[in-house]
Amino acid sequence: MEIVKTRKDVTMTLAIEGRLDSLTSPQLEAEIVGKLDGVAHLIFDLSKLEFISSSGLRALLLTQKIMDKQGSMTIRNLPQEFREYFDEVGFSRVMRIE
Amino acid sequence: MKINVHGLAFKQSMAVFAGISIVFAALFLFSNSQIQGKLSQMLLQKGEEVSRANVALINKLFSSGRTFGEDVAYNIGNKKMSAAELDDYLLRTLSGVRATVPQVVAMVAAFEPGMAPKGIDGEYMRLAYFSGDSTTVINGGNYHEKIWYKSTKDSLKGLWQEPFIGDFIKEPIVIFTTPIFREDYNGEKKFAGVLCVDISIAFLKDMIANMPVSNDGYAVVLSASNMIIAHPKNELTFKANFASLSRNASHKRLVEFENAVHSMKNGLFLGSSVDGEDAAIYFTAMESIDWTFLIVWPAHKFMEEQRSVSHMYAWITFGGYAIVFVLILVITFRASRPLKSLAVAADKLGEGDFSATIPDLTGRDEVSQLAGAFKKMRTSLQTFIETQKDMDRSKRDLEFSRGIQLGILSKNEMEEGCGDNRHALAPFLLPAQNAGGDYYDFFKLDDDHLVVLVADVAGKGIPATLVMLVSRVVIRTLALHHTSVAEIFNETNDGLMSHNRDQLFVTAWMGILDLRNGHMEFASAGHKAPAIHRKDGSVSFVNSVPDIALVVKEDCTYNAQTLDLNPGDTLFMYTDGVTGARNADGETFGKDNLLRALADCGDRAPAEINSFVKERLDHFTGDVQQLDDMAMLSVRYDGAPEKA
Repeated sequence: MEIVKTRKDVTMTLAIEGRLDSLTSPQLEAEIVGKLDGVAHLIFDLSKLEFISSSGLRALLLTQKIMDKQGSMTIRNLPQEFREYFDEVGFSRVMRIE
Repeated sequence: MKINVHGLAFKQSMAVFAGISIVFAALFLFSNSQIQGKLSQMLLQKGEEVSRANVALINKLFSSGRTFGEDVAYNIGNKKMSAAELDDYLLRTLSGVRATVPQVVAMVAAFEPGMAPKGIDGEYMRLAYFSGDSTTVINGGNYHEKIWYKSTKDSLKGLWQEPFIGDFIKEPIVIFTTPIFREDYNGEKKFAGVLCVDISIAFLKDMIANMPVSNDGYAVVLSASNMIIAHPKNELTFKANFASLSRNASHKRLVEFENAVHSMKNGLFLGSSVDGEDAAIYFTAMESIDWTFLIVWPAHKFMEEQRSVSHMYAWITFGGYAIVFVLILVITFRASRPLKSLAVAADKLGEGDFSATIPDLTGRDEVSQLAGAFKKMRTSLQTFIETQKDMDRSKRDLEFSRGIQLGILSKNEMEEGCGDNRHALAPFLLPAQNAGGDYYDFFKLDDDHLVVLVADVAGKGIPATLVMLVSRVVIRTLALHHTSVAEIFNETNDGLMSHNRDQLFVTAWMGILDLRNGHMEFASAGHKAPAIHRKDGSVSFVNSVPDIALVVKEDCTYNAQTLDLNPGDTLFMYTDGVTGARNADGETFGKDNLLRALADCGDRAPAEINSFVKERLDHFTGDVQQLDDMAMLSVRYDGAPEKA
């Protein structure tokens, strides 16, 4: 998995490429926890996501909980094949998916 | 420096030391024999040089003495002299010869009876001798039995008699005796008497005393019977035979000496002097007389030169020896010191202490290479052990999770005590390597109500397992007080939400089956819809609308939904490890394959359905290791027995 991080003022974009599963989600958590100071808008670009497991969802939920306190989080370009999963688990209802 | 006699350095040093000892010893012996050879050659040359002139002088003297004697004997034999004429002749010739050979001190003419000058019968002997400054002639007698007369008469030829101290002339004398022949009336040569020429050899003493010989050497003259007739120590002269005075010399050595002296013209002999002291003796035989001329060098003197050279060699050898020894010690100990500290470091490593200092060697020799390799080894060993520790931890975690997952969950209805003849169920759980949060559960609320549940805790390891444990207990506890699945979920969510910092959300599907009529109330917390295998063989997913997963959002409201099972229908519940299983091409097993597998199950019992699906899964995934847990729970409703 590759994470491409770009930041513009208070907006940070994390583009995730590859699989986000139990093996790779600690990598994402490491990029998030304690490193979002001053970020008001966090955008996940998931256009190149190949797979997401419950561990991956957990990492996104963790991020959502952080951003709930300091701004907003948006998920962009979620491939259709994973949309069902997000709906199923109910994440569509707690996350902004565009 | 403490020397370890079993150490490499010591052994190596000793081996090289032994080798060098042999080389040096050989070198020393070789040089010694070289020196000895050179010295012998030098002595031989020197002896020859020193003695040549003296030997020539003595030879000349004795050969002229002999010639003179033979001339006189001839004249006396052939000229018929009267007694007066003989006396006159003897005196004249003696004076004459003394002009050229002053060592001739006397002449004697002794006759056989009847052979004396005319008018004299019996024995007749006339002795002319030089005394003071004049020559005198006197009578002598009783000579017939004397050795000098007898031996000459017996052999009928000229002889050199053994030297002695004279009676008339008190000095060492050697006598040449030669027979006098006279023709008788028949013209036959007949033995008529003996003529003696007395030659003083007192001059020998001065001669050898004045001879300059290096290294304390001196000259000695030996007679034919090896008697000393000239020696720097005057008291030995005529008293000792060379052999009898060689006190400390062994008999064998003397025999060797005599053989050497009498078989060779000249040579060098390493023997002992008359003083019994070791000596190098040069000898040369004289032509004119059967005497031997010796030059004797006392061993202590003649050896001195050899010794000093030998000593020098010995010191050089010893010095080289010492230097080489020290060098070897330094080199080997320098080489072995880092080896020693490497050994210490290895010991410490063996005890798990990675702080041991490894000698920092910059050289390019084998020891430096070893130290380098050793450092590398330490680093990789350290890394390996660290990863091993980590691996152990995660392995322990996994074992813990597996232990709980497999140990705490009931494996069949008998364990749970919820079996009856209205239904049958079978669970299946396969924890993945890294996961640890899937579980199933089943229990009865009362005789007629069976709770079935599958859940998936997001995350992995011990945290996930703990959440699983907690949610299981919470759900079971809440279920005792509530009969609505939706309410159970509502309260479970609230209960877990307040203590979940890690966002370990849980998806769950739970239903309560009324065993009396097959009616089931269920709720879905973000979980996949189960499938139903109808008795007629048709398969379909349950129309289940998922609500939000547990522990995601506070104050959620879960919706109660329902389904109905007819006798013979089987409800198949699962977690997404089943549909999410992947093959080598990255494809997931998916819902379609699951439905197909269930359709192919026929009228299999719940336990068989689980294993059938697992077989299909294995066939699909091949050797690919699965990242997610797999949980299945199959429940068949058999219907209420007809009342009798």
